[in-house]
Amino acid sequence: MILPVIVLTLIVGTFGALLVFVASLLGPKKKKTAAKYMPYECGLPGQETTKSNVSVRFYLTAILFIMFDIEILFLYPWAISYQEFIDAGYGAYMLGAMLVFIGLFIFGLLWEIKSKALEWD
Amino acid sequence: MGSDGFEITINIIKMLVIFLMMVQMVPVLVWVERRGSAFIQNRFGPNRVGPLGLTQLLADAVKFLFKEEFVPPASHKWLYYAAPVLALIPGALAFESIPLSMPIHVNTESGAHTFLFQGYDVGVGIVFVLAVSSLGAYALLLAGWGSHNKYSLFGALRASAQMISYELAMGLSLVGILMLFQTFDFQRMVEIQRGTLHFWLFGKEISLGFLPNWGIFFQPLGFVLFATATFAETNRTPFDLPEAEAELVAGYHTEYGGLKMLMFYIGEYGHMMVASALMVTFYFGGYELPFYSSQSLVEALSQSMSSNAASIVGALLLHVVFMAKVLFFLWVFIWVRWTLPRFRYDQLMDLGWKTMLPWALANVLITAFFVLMAHG
Amino acid sequence: MTDIILFYFLATMTVLTGVGVVMSENPLFSALYLVLSMTGVAGLFFLLQAPFVGAVQILVYAGAVMVLFVLVIMLIDINKSGEKYIGGNAAALFKGLAIGIFSGLVSAVVLRSPIVAKPALSNGSYTVLEIAKVLFTKYVLAFELLGIILLVIPIGVVALSRIKGGTHER
Repeated sequence: MILPVIVLTLIVGTFGALLVFVASLLGPKKKKTAAKYMPYECGLPGQETTKSNVSVRFYLTAILFIMFDIEILFLYPWAISYQEFIDAGYGAYMLGAMLVFIGLFIFGLLWEIKSKALEWD
Repeated sequence: MGSDGFEITINIIKMLVIFLMMVQMVPVLVWVERRGSAFIQNRFGPNRVGPLGLTQLLADAVKFLFKEEFVPPASHKWLYYAAPVLALIPGALAFESIPLSMPIHVNTESGAHTFLFQGYDVGVGIVFVLAVSSLGAYALLLAGWGSHNKYSLFGALRASAQMISYELAMGLSLVGILMLFQTFDFQRMVEIQRGTLHFWLFGKEISLGFLPNWGIFFQPLGFVLFATATFAETNRTPFDLPEAEAELVAGYHTEYGGLKMLMFYIGEYGHMMVASALMVTFYFGGYELPFYSSQSLVEALSQSMSSNAASIVGALLLHVVFMAKVLFFLWVFIWVRWTLPRFRYDQLMDLGWKTMLPWALANVLITAFFVLMAHG
Repeated sequence: MTDIILFYFLATMTVLTGVGVVMSENPLFSALYLVLSMTGVAGLFFLLQAPFVGAVQILVYAGAVMVLFVLVIMLIDINKSGEKYIGGNAAALFKGLAIGIFSGLVSAVVLRSPIVAKPALSNGSYTVLEIAKVLFTKYVLAFELLGIILLVIPIGVVALSRIKGGTHER
């Protein structure tokens, strides 16, 4: 079941590596100049490198993503089994269980929006 | 053992063919994109090389191959070279797990064989696709970090933050469709969407014979949310902030050129193809023709040929149907790109977190309520 | 036979990349090795006929948690903190302690629990149904509690961003 996935990963990886390798063989070799090897910046001389400060909001977004991602993943088995539970007569129970869970989800989201943790400027 | 060898050979060939098909779709799509954008903007586009500029693709490929190799000296060599290769893998892995047509049944002297018209079936269809696509962020992050250029890094950060934000809306918009189909399996979903539209409401069966039984009629809001989220996931306009040329030169692939640049393109178009194939499978009946099921097609074909040939020909015909639907959505991707302007970054994040996520939650609640009603 | 070869392939990959996590000097490479290690574990879940758990392993750990780690490593200046990150007797002591405690925990769990070599059912969706049936009947309270625990994350994030020097300082 997992074997074809591994095989395909290896095939695609080899294919990509081969492309990169062939391109590096075929390309013309030209003289290196200092201007050519400057980090690209629309023709201006480079001023700052990657060591500049990056907004911490990216970090906040990522950590909030983990939380909501886990909640969504718990909804998947719920969604798959929902109709089965309804047929067994537990539909209202399942809906209630999910409503509590989603209620917490919505509360978290509203909390974020209200406390402006999701604001970008 | 001979029968096993036969199946393994066919499966490996099948996997390679699907992968190569995906790769060779890219130059065609680039051509369509350039001609299409020219058409929309009242220009000509590439029209000099060959009829309708079609051999422009070949010329481009040769040009890409013979570009000078350039590696920024401050870059991290390993990451710089690994990133384009990694960009190829998630799209390919995801695309191979989607059924492109019905399974083929053949009888040989070594026994009966069934070949799925897909690379492999891992058993959890959509969750597997979501999982491998979530690995797509690494190619961008490594490209941005490895190039050692601030524009690359900012582009990569923006791209990954955007991808993870819209992954939530995408994952949540699918809960409704999972509730209806009760399965992760693509094949099963396509089977459920056969026939004409019919459903149960308050214990009464309602049937609308003039519409096919497609997911879009059950999940219109889910479809809109899913389609929007896939536009953001593939970093296409109006969500192409990572490549906003006015601010970031070219985003995470600023320092890449030649074939390595092309590999990022293959990755991007691969993601577009996966997104289109998913939309077709979830909401538009997959490879099935409306009002004419695959079984009746195979039966009609087997009147005039052997059952093996009927199965193969039928699968190929339905593959054409599937690809026609996929190409329509790929055209929509291109159409939207040249129609809508780009968002600002705060608008983009607001749309993802404050608009799409609440609407996706609402979609889950509405669907849950209606499913409960449908069962009386 | 293929399963055994695959198991050794995936297990070797998981362990070797795990060694790479602690051995590499660049924290970014540590994080990337950890991604590979997680993916190897996911492969082992697939091999145990539990594709849903395997896919979730990739989705949550390799796709979400590690993206966060990589983002954080990119935000800090690793060239300056590189020397402090590795080496030194104190670091070696802590590494030894961590290895000892963790291997002790794992071996205790392995020795004390009965080994059940029973693969799950082959059809993916069916296993998910089984998971759902247990999760929403027997462990439904734990499921709701999990929602509350996850709620701590947004509250913590807001608290962190509001402290002095934070992005949303009051």
